[in-house]
Amino acid sequence: MNEQEKKSYLQRYKEAKEKGVPFFPDIIFKDAVVSLIVFLILVALAYFVGAPVEERANPNDTNYTPRPEWYFLFLFQLLKYFPGNLEVIGAMILPGLFVILLLVLPFIDKSPKRHFRNRPFASIAALAVVGGIGVLTVLSVMEAPPPQEAVVVDHAAALYIKNCANCHGENIDVPPSTDLHQVIAAGTHEGMPAWGGDLSTDEIDQLVGFILSPNGSAIYVQQCETCHDQMVQAVGNPLELQRVFREGENYPGHEGVDVPDWNETLTTVERNALLNFLAAPDGQRLFTINCAGCHGQGVAFAGTEEELRTLISQGGHDLAMPAWKGTLSESDLDTLASYVTDPQSEPAGDVLFGQHCAACHGEKVPSAPDKESAIQIISRGGAHMTMPLWGNILTQEQLDALAQYTFEVSRGEGTGLGATLFVEYCTACHGQFGEGGPNPSLAGDIIPPISTSEYLTTREDTTLRNIIAQGQPNFGMSPFGDEHGGPLDSTQLDALVAFIRSWESNPPVDEPPIFQTETPPPTPEVTAPTSEPVPSLTGGQLYTIACASCHGAQGEGGIGPAFNTQEFQDQYDDRALFDIISEDHTATPMVVWGEHLSDEQIQLLVEQVRILGGAIPTEPSTVSFSGQVVPLFQAKCQVCHNSQTALGGWDSTSYEAVTTTGNSANVVIPGDMLNSVLAQRVAGTQGAIMPPSGKMPDAEIQIILDWIAAGAPEN
Amino acid sequence: MAANLMNWLDERLGWRSVWEAIFLRKVPHVNWFYTLGSATLFLAVTQGITGILLTLYYVPDPAHAYDSVVYITTQLPMGWFIRGLHHWGASAMVILTVAHLLRVFFLGAYKYPREITWITGVFLLLIVIGFGFTGYLLPWDQKAYWATTVGTRIIGVAPGIGEWLLRVARGGSELSAVTLARFFGTHVWILPASLLTLLGVHLYLVIRIGISAVPEKDE
Repeated sequence: MNEQEKKSYLQRYKEAKEKGVPFFPDIIFKDAVVSLIVFLILVALAYFVGAPVEERANPNDTNYTPRPEWYFLFLFQLLKYFPGNLEVIGAMILPGLFVILLLVLPFIDKSPKRHFRNRPFASIAALAVVGGIGVLTVLSVMEAPPPQEAVVVDHAAALYIKNCANCHGENIDVPPSTDLHQVIAAGTHEGMPAWGGDLSTDEIDQLVGFILSPNGSAIYVQQCETCHDQMVQAVGNPLELQRVFREGENYPGHEGVDVPDWNETLTTVERNALLNFLAAPDGQRLFTINCAGCHGQGVAFAGTEEELRTLISQGGHDLAMPAWKGTLSESDLDTLASYVTDPQSEPAGDVLFGQHCAACHGEKVPSAPDKESAIQIISRGGAHMTMPLWGNILTQEQLDALAQYTFEVSRGEGTGLGATLFVEYCTACHGQFGEGGPNPSLAGDIIPPISTSEYLTTREDTTLRNIIAQGQPNFGMSPFGDEHGGPLDSTQLDALVAFIRSWESNPPVDEPPIFQTETPPPTPEVTAPTSEPVPSLTGGQLYTIACASCHGAQGEGGIGPAFNTQEFQDQYDDRALFDIISEDHTATPMVVWGEHLSDEQIQLLVEQVRILGGAIPTEPSTVSFSGQVVPLFQAKCQVCHNSQTALGGWDSTSYEAVTTTGNSANVVIPGDMLNSVLAQRVAGTQGAIMPPSGKMPDAEIQIILDWIAAGAPEN
Repeated sequence: MAANLMNWLDERLGWRSVWEAIFLRKVPHVNWFYTLGSATLFLAVTQGITGILLTLYYVPDPAHAYDSVVYITTQLPMGWFIRGLHHWGASAMVILTVAHLLRVFFLGAYKYPREITWITGVFLLLIVIGFGFTGYLLPWDQKAYWATTVGTRIIGVAPGIGEWLLRVARGGSELSAVTLARFFGTHVWILPASLLTLLGVHLYLVIRIGISAVPEKDE
């Protein structure tokens, strides 16, 4: 372009501009229209197609076929024509040259021609490039492997591996009547965290299904997941599942869907595995889904478990219950029906029930939804024509689980709730198996076992219930019933009683024999000198364990006299003190410490009494919280006791949390070793020893005890 | 009253001359193809807004990136929509930029006196592609991870410095947290800053020189 041409172009452009329109509003209107159309297209795409998210990136998955975004596909395709050492041509040189060409284009093409027909070479070349890119893109799409089949991932298995396998290994053996869902959601008290917060209900259901039927999970992935990508979308109701299998493509939900004949494609074993996965053989949940609608919380049954199993599998058709209409008068029928519907409303029904029904039904009254159906069932006998033949519906495993659970419930042994409550509220004092032990709230007192048949046969449920509800203030047991200010409601009390009662016929196997003896040794905490578990204690610690509950933590007195008075200190010399501590005091509740403590320990106590009296200055605490205690917490406690997973409600991650958290009481009570749960647990004097992996070395326990004894300072 | 205010403002801001220079300038009669540039500009603004909204919830760290994207898509109110717009906007951006480039090419608009406008335009196209490439990794899903793995590997074939370039792109020999941080930083800081700068020059030139007229047959 020479000067002449430049000038002529500028002139022409000036004229075109003068004949033109103002940018606002004419041009801007057109721009706005196009922008709006573009935006609407985007909105439609976002709404109808959405932005996809694939599986989380997995660097180990070498099977994944990588594909770049579509606008890089042509480059991707181009590379295929430059294999090996030539790759650099397709990857670098050609694209690089092309970009450079674009950049210098105005300087290469200096001709004044502007209309595309007047510069055929440039136009054709550009068309060729555009066409080439288009062809390469199309080729790339066509050569691409068929869109990846939905990556077959067993979600349930993945959940298990991620969350459970670390502790439980490859699989878990679960007793048939376990409410596994509850166990996973709430955790157990053996160090298993509660997953309810981290996993959704559906995920827990998947896990339950997987744990109880891992094969079923795999079959589900193969057969169902194409359509039911979330397990939620498939039913968990055994009746419905059987229908799906039976009806195949005629099943309403599968209408128009190309489903195989399940009975042909799957073997019986596979079908059962799948059914077990979808409706896990978990007695409690099966009962809730299938039976609770008619039977409420439980059924009454007096026969054996085998009979119950037969009954469940045969359904209501073959029940041998006679037709009571005719045998009983109308009014008796009416009374019975009322009684069955609501036992409280018809006390007279009790007698009738005992006469006619208890022989088969046992003492537990069957429940009926309303009086009308109760009358029908009683009159007609044979009962429950509507009860399905569960034997044809449930898998063997499901039937076993359901029968066992129902049987246990009918025997009042549906003790899941009671067991949980017992662990939560009772084991601290009564031990895991009700074996009793030293009374933490009353030094020197030993709680007798409550799980022996002797104890249980001599106490009725009502008595047990009252003891739990009202507590035993004389023995330091606080009331647990909510009517008395405790945490448990009526149902929970009943469950707890039922659990304790279950020991009568089924005494706990792991009961430690030591507390079974008639004369258990008093205060095992202070058996230190003879056995070895308690580390050698300082005078302060001994005092806290042995004396503080009666004489006060600082010797201020209580049941026993105060030590911190000049009068007391003057009254006895060391020798007298030593004798008082070690000898019998028949007139007072004071323990004969000479039987439990060594002379050295009693001497330490004497010194401690003098310290409290002000005679000897307290030695300053030498334990450093940040330097010694925190590292111990980090190493031994924080896995389970942190701000996220605070088992027992205790968070050991900060000073504030250490001293203020804990489910039943603050775990650390400064200066009070007797009542600090932390001290009890690490020293093994009370409750399960911590950490669960085994006792810490004595030196480490000493650090924690010293720290608490020194008032748990934040130093 | 309003007129007084406008005058008061004009005395201080001189907005009328700006308004006249930008909005009241005369423009030759042009066809609908000439809207592609402003549509691209509009999209760039949309991408900027949706992108900023996404950064409020996105976490550029391999441990959380995927979860945050899933959270945005499934939990966050309207999150799916914002992400959908940003996702599809990226493709639309590439299409419109290339379409705009083709329009300029076929109508000879890159010629005198608009050479620099064209060059800035080519760089803007490269930036848009850079946005696409870096943004693609951010969800940290399978597609993102593997597409970026092969994408960055291409850099490695450069003779001599390929190895070094690859390490620079990935922040190591493998895709890692460094890569993600690097791509995120590029995507939300380096590229937008470059884009704004070049866009400023580009628009200044468009306004200063004027938009080209549709060439006559004899041109």
